[in-house]
This record gives sequence, structure tokens and C-alpha cells, in this order.
Amino acid sequence: MSRHNFDPSRLDRRQFLRWSAGAGAAGLLYSSGLQARPLSTDARIVIIGGGASGMAMANRLSHQLDGARITLVEPREVHHYQPGWTLVASGVWKPEKTMQPNSRFIPTGVDWVRQPADSIDAVNRRVELGDGSWIDYDYLVVATGLQLNYHLIDGMSSDLVGSHGIGSVYASIEGATRTRDAIDAWIAQGSGKGIFTAAPTPVKCAGAPLKMTFTTLSRLEATGHRDDFQVEFMAPGLGLFSQPYINDFVKQRFDDQGVTRRHHYRLSAIDPQAREAEFTFVGPDSEFTSHHQLRESEFSREGERRVVTGYDFIHVVPPMSAPDFVKASDLIAQDGPFRGEWLDVDIHTLQHNRYPEVFGIGDVIGAPINKTAASVKAQAPVVEANLLAQIQGQPLLARHNGYTSCPMITGIGMAMLVEFGYDNNFDFLPSFPFIDPKDESWAAWVMKDRMLQPAYYAVLEGQA
Amino acid sequence: MTIQGALTILMYALAPFLWLIVAGLGLLVTIQLIARVRGYRAFTYRCLGANLAALAVGLSGLWWIPAFTSSRLAYVATAFDWVALIGAVLGLAIAAWLVLHPLSYLLRGRQSQLLATKQKLP
Repeated sequence: MSRHNFDPSRLDRRQFLRWSAGAGAAGLLYSSGLQARPLSTDARIVIIGGGASGMAMANRLSHQLDGARITLVEPREVHHYQPGWTLVASGVWKPEKTMQPNSRFIPTGVDWVRQPADSIDAVNRRVELGDGSWIDYDYLVVATGLQLNYHLIDGMSSDLVGSHGIGSVYASIEGATRTRDAIDAWIAQGSGKGIFTAAPTPVKCAGAPLKMTFTTLSRLEATGHRDDFQVEFMAPGLGLFSQPYINDFVKQRFDDQGVTRRHHYRLSAIDPQAREAEFTFVGPDSEFTSHHQLRESEFSREGERRVVTGYDFIHVVPPMSAPDFVKASDLIAQDGPFRGEWLDVDIHTLQHNRYPEVFGIGDVIGAPINKTAASVKAQAPVVEANLLAQIQGQPLLARHNGYTSCPMITGIGMAMLVEFGYDNNFDFLPSFPFIDPKDESWAAWVMKDRMLQPAYYAVLEGQA
Repeated sequence: MTIQGALTILMYALAPFLWLIVAGLGLLVTIQLIARVRGYRAFTYRCLGANLAALAVGLSGLWWIPAFTSSRLAYVATAFDWVALIGAVLGLAIAAWLVLHPLSYLLRGRQSQLLATKQKLP
């Protein structure tokens, strides 16, 4: 069962703050009559994954449902604030700043199962756990996050991050820290070639490869010997970012800052000892250039042109997909652009396209954009409302507009607050009328550096 | 966003600096109280040095407020950036004045007392 047995004498500072804020706001809500009445149900709800999306759903559903048996399947004890990893890898944050115990966020009444999920039997509505036991469900929320497929790059593994000039901000918090060290070592070397890559699949925080390039450029420029360093960016497609204005902006800035851009190349192999990377030219007409079309089985095809180049530092962005046990289940997309790789949901209602009792949220879903914590903030109220409607047999009225946000760090100390959605060719959806998403600003940087982490924790607690 | 959500975000954002905020407020209130007990009145007492020092503290914010956020003044670019930074500088200057002005009154009073004591000595 869940961990919380309230003992006021053992409150730490953070808990005290939460209780103080909660008590004050509860008083306001009570007095204004804004509290919604929870829905009574004895439904068994299983949430797979305790990351941003799973934790937000656990909190939201526990507030909204009375009598439901909610189970959260999450093996990890530590919650990682992953949006902070780029700042760790850039030397701005210490790694400790990104970690909190999961127990802080799990609400009372939710059964926390500290096991990994091993398989999903969607037909019989049950989930297999790592110890071989099964949990039955009436409703399932798939919030597993995604899987990093370093193995699709020959010679590469996450263990290599931090050695032989290899960095990868995605690997883990330890990987982000070792990436910082690898960049430090390259800069201390005083010269040399750095290669920054992008993946030929959808990735979480699609801005991260660009942010790592920009923050490293800041650090290289700070040495006063920028010209002694070569910087290259290898992109598998023609675009660098989904939002068209930002895509053009980043390309121009790379050109202005002396970054050599090469398009239609994907990282296919790496030789750590020799510090050489092999890139496969995938061609402008290749299926690879439309990153939503890439499948694991399509890597390493015959007859492709390959280029081998040396490096002093390389930032590796691995191909990504839904976790293997989700891919092996009947919940995976059967056709369309996400087939075989991502969860099959309606991108507006977030309900599974074939199993109406199943909802998806977060990185695991097949959607054109949306693998960010900011997307979770927008998706969580939609999944909550539609799941409650499904329980009551009502139509699903809540719709997700594809909102996502990327504080695009364009240097250490400045950023653009880029918010956009599915519609109108990924048009901007700014939250603040006084912050122009097309402008680099200090205010956007301060939001990234100081405000987004508190907002993230509020999302986890189901309050934002 | 709910009121509780906004409060939660604010509390999480302020939590790392809570000790600093409490210490600063404690210092300000303590000095103000002691000075007022000893006859200090903010708008009748004049001290050019305290005014200039408060101004200097405020202006120093132009450097260290961006630095505190791992940034620098050169990146303060948009109109909103400047409004935010100038607001922070003004707040800093006012807070510094609320401490330094009564503090100078207390120190001057002490100096006057010492001077008077010396003059009385044979």
C-alpha cells in the first residue's frame, strides 16, 4: 500500500510547505464552493509508470474518484526531473537538484507496486509484473515513458557515456553528469572536433540535442578560442525542429555561430577506441527523413552510403521507441505512422483506438509531437476528464490540442519560450502575452532555470 | 490553474531561499524597530550616505541578479526582461534603504553619544 501515514511531528520543510499551501488553498476553495464532488466507483485502475505522466494521473484520479482501487506500477524509488538534465550536462545545475524520492508525490490511497511491468494482456485486461504475478484492471493508463535504443547504433551502449569523448544527455542523470565531464575534457584539450547528432525517430524533449549544441557553443565562446574548435551537427532529416519558425531560427543561428550542418545523416556506428563515428547517408527521398516512418527493422539496410569521421567529442542521441513490453502487446499501433513503435491512441482524446478502457499519456503515445513534461501538463486533465467520462458511460468531450513547450536554450543565460500545438502547422500557443516565443530573452531563461521545476512538481501533484 | 496549484508552484520556487528571505526580513524588522524606539522617523531623518548606499546596492543588482540566474546583463534583451530587471533593482534598492537608513541613524546616534561623552571629559 501507499506510504503516507501523516505525522505532523515528522514533516520536513518541503512537506510543511505543501501542507501550508494546501491548507490555505483548501480554505479558499471551500469558501468559494469550487470543490468538485468525487465520483464514486469501485473500478480497478492500473497506471503503468510513475514518471511525470503516471504520477500526475495517480494524483488527479485519487482526488477525483471515491472508492476506486488505483494501482501505480513503478519500480524506481527516485523521481528524476528530466527537463533539468540539459542544465546538468551544461554545467549549470548540480545533479542532486533533479532528484526527489517518489514517495513524496504518491497520494494516500494509491497502491504503489514497486515492480516493473513485464507485459500487457489487453484482451484479458491484465498486466504482468516483473515477479511473474498479474494485476487485473478495469481501466488502464499507459504512462510508461519511452525506451532508449542505443543498441541500434553499432558499438554504442549507455555505459560508454562519459568515456572516449562520448556524451549523451538522455542516458540518465549519471549520463548527463558524465556528458558534462566529457565536454569539460574536450574544452580543456583546447581544440578539436565536436559532433552533435539527432535521432531518426521521435525523441523526448526534441529540443535537447539543439540545447546541448547551444550551451556547448556558449562554453566554447567563453574560452576566447572558439576558432580552435570545430562543431558539426548531423541531422537525419532536413529539419532540426518541428515548429517551422524555430526550425529556421536554429538553422540560421547554427550558421551564424560557425556550426557545420549536415543533413540526411544518421549515426549508425561508433568506434570508441578510435574515436570514430560512422554516419549513414539516408538521402532526401529516404523513408528515414520522415522520422515517424523509421522502424527498428529498417536500420542497417544494404547499399547505403556511409561516412566515417573522427571526433574529439560526440553527443549521441539514441533512437527511441515505446518500451519493448508495450511494443509486444496488442496496444501498439498496427498501422499508420506510429505502427510497431508507439502506443495507438487518438491524439485528441488520448483514448486507445481499439481498447476503449485504455488511455495513454506522455512519451509513449504515438503523436506527431508531445514528448515533453509540458505536454503532460496539458494531457493530464484530458485523460482525467475522458477516463471519468468513460467510467460513467458518457461521451469523451475533452480534447488535447497537442500543446507542448520547449524552453529553447540558445546559450547559457538566454532562451526562447517556445510553446506550440498540433494545429495550423504547429502554430505557437503562448501562455504569457508578454513573452514573445520568437524572442531570445533572459526572462525565458529564468523560467527554465527557476520556475519550471516548481511547476513540474505542481503537475506531479495534480495541481497544475 | 487552481489557486492551490499557483501556491504550490510559488512555495516550491521559494523553498530553497526561505532561510534567506526570513533572515533578510528579520534583519529589516529588527533594525527598524530598534531605530524607531530610539526616535528614528524615516521622512524626517536625512542621510545622503545611506541614500547613496541604497542606490548603489540597487544598481549592483544589474550585475548580480542576472548572475544569480546563471545569466548576464548582456542577455537582458526584451522589453519584458528590462521591466522585470528594473523592478527587481527597485525592490532591492528599497529593501536596502529600509535597512541602511535606520542603521545610519543608529550609528550616528552612537557617534553623537561618544562625541558628547568626549566633550564632557575634562
